[in-house]
Amino acid sequence: MNNDNKKWYSLNLKKSPKVDSCGCGNDSGSCSGEKTKDGYDQVMNVSMGRRAAFKKITAGFLIGAGAVSSSCSVVSGDENKEKSGIEWEEYFKGNYKLMTDKEKEETVNRLTRSYELRTGEKINMTSKDAEKDVLFGYAFNISKCQGYMDCVNACVEENNQDRATEMQYIRIHEMEDGKGFNFEESDDNYYHEVPAEGHFYMGTQCFHCDNPPCVEVCPVQATWKEKDGIVVIDYDWCVGCRYCMAACPYDGRRFNWKTPEVPEQEVNKKQHYLGNRLRKKGVMEKCTFCIQRSREGQNPACVEACPTGARTFGNLLDPKSNIRWILENKKVFRLKEDLGTEPKFWYYMD
Amino acid sequence: MIQKIVVKTLIIVIGLFVISCKHSHENNYHTVTDKIEAKTVSPENLTITSKTFNENIKTVKFAEDGYEFLIPERKSQITSYNCTECHTQPIEKLKQNQVGEKAAHWNIKLAHAGVEIMNCATCHSNGNMDNLHSLTNSEIDFNYSYKLCSQCHQKEFKDWKGGAHGKQLGGWAPPRLSNTCVNCHNPHKPAFEKRWPVRFNTQKVKERQ
Ligand code: SF4
Ligand code: SF4
Repeated sequence: MNNDNKKWYSLNLKKSPKVDSCGCGNDSGSCSGEKTKDGYDQVMNVSMGRRAAFKKITAGFLIGAGAVSSSCSVVSGDENKEKSGIEWEEYFKGNYKLMTDKEKEETVNRLTRSYELRTGEKINMTSKDAEKDVLFGYAFNISKCQGYMDCVNACVEENNQDRATEMQYIRIHEMEDGKGFNFEESDDNYYHEVPAEGHFYMGTQCFHCDNPPCVEVCPVQATWKEKDGIVVIDYDWCVGCRYCMAACPYDGRRFNWKTPEVPEQEVNKKQHYLGNRLRKKGVMEKCTFCIQRSREGQNPACVEACPTGARTFGNLLDPKSNIRWILENKKVFRLKEDLGTEPKFWYYMD
Repeated sequence: MIQKIVVKTLIIVIGLFVISCKHSHENNYHTVTDKIEAKTVSPENLTITSKTFNENIKTVKFAEDGYEFLIPERKSQITSYNCTECHTQPIEKLKQNQVGEKAAHWNIKLAHAGVEIMNCATCHSNGNMDNLHSLTNSEIDFNYSYKLCSQCHQKEFKDWKGGAHGKQLGGWAPPRLSNTCVNCHNPHKPAFEKRWPVRFNTQKVKERQ
């Protein structure tokens, strides 16, 4: 982490040396003079990239703040203790991608319990892994979409998107006939009777690229492609830098500027860690092909809601699936194919 | 000397190839199409199923031209089926409605092709009312009404069989259960209607002002 001739601090992400460095500048010896490691040091003195830096900066504040709040609170009951215990563990947990199955289960349990402590309601969260021999793909029939936006509604409800800021992962673009796919001139926020004369409709969302540029640029590896092809985000690892948003050529990502809030009775309780769980403020969100549904064999909410059948979802590795038939028998294309991002989202016409 | 040059160029070429093919470190496929082709499995080996999501839908089987899937059963969904519960006699012998009295099925207005091309009798038979009939008068069960539609809509029929037209119900995983024609299209008025979008994003408007 330390480089003698460097005068600035940089996060050495790619090649983190396996030395116990604490950031004080001393490679040898010790900076605080302690010889044995207590529990705190065991946690703090492990070289683990970016988090380590944040920990060092914030742990102090946290401990201070925690001490103040616990000493001042009149009712520091068992629940409060449990709450802060959960908060502590959640704060220092690792990257989901590197977690063992047990650790995944533990964090899911913590999040479930924490929700229960906060709201008194139970949620059903899983960390179900990708199925073997599954690669998800999506097809969109431009001739069929009528611009009703039923998919947008379904997506908002399914994925617990913030109601106040009207966060939406799906956009439907109204395009004029005869102008090609002109996104500059298209309208993605129309409100009049549809389909409008002389227009056609085209939906976009995250295309789950097989070679996703958004994943490459993430400085903390908070976003990655799963085995079944779904590009996911660990909301607890994301630092909200929005590099990925800038790297995505398809406007697939959405940054939340405020804590997503959903009226309690509207919260979708069937959740996945990498999917529709209630996120914190200041992280990246996007379509996850409804990972909480698709990994169970179910269709994403948008596919289910579409009344025209413009949306098809399925397993690209199953030669008998509808999506495969479309790819093999219709004239399909993808957006900005020349970029080499290999989106797994195809468009076709009747 | 020449050998040396050959070896050197070979090394450079191989080196360039390794560096330039960015995808190769993760897997050996250049495009996702290659990947799909290489990793395709035979359908018998797929374990995941969507059965639980369609359990409460009564189905019948579609099996034609090498395609096999389920479609929703229809007859139990038609309110006044069996037709012969009312239609005990041929149409001509039915009581004529009096002035001011509404005829049966008064609410059905046919908007399908034109009047010169279609009327009730194009699909409904006067003989066995409980069945439909084709253009050449062979009986068609209500559960398999796609056979009627496909007489004219051949292209849609082909796309529907494959999965490019229509809608799969429940899940993406097998067994496939797809809506049949009349589940999405009202056969008497098959076109989709104009309507207002279900939502309007007021925040987007503010943001873009
Ligand atoms: S569409 Fe954008 S966000 Fe989605 S995988 Fe591709 S680059 Fe990433
Ligand atoms: S916003 Fe989050 S996911 Fe995106 S690049 Fe930054 S840390 Fe990674």
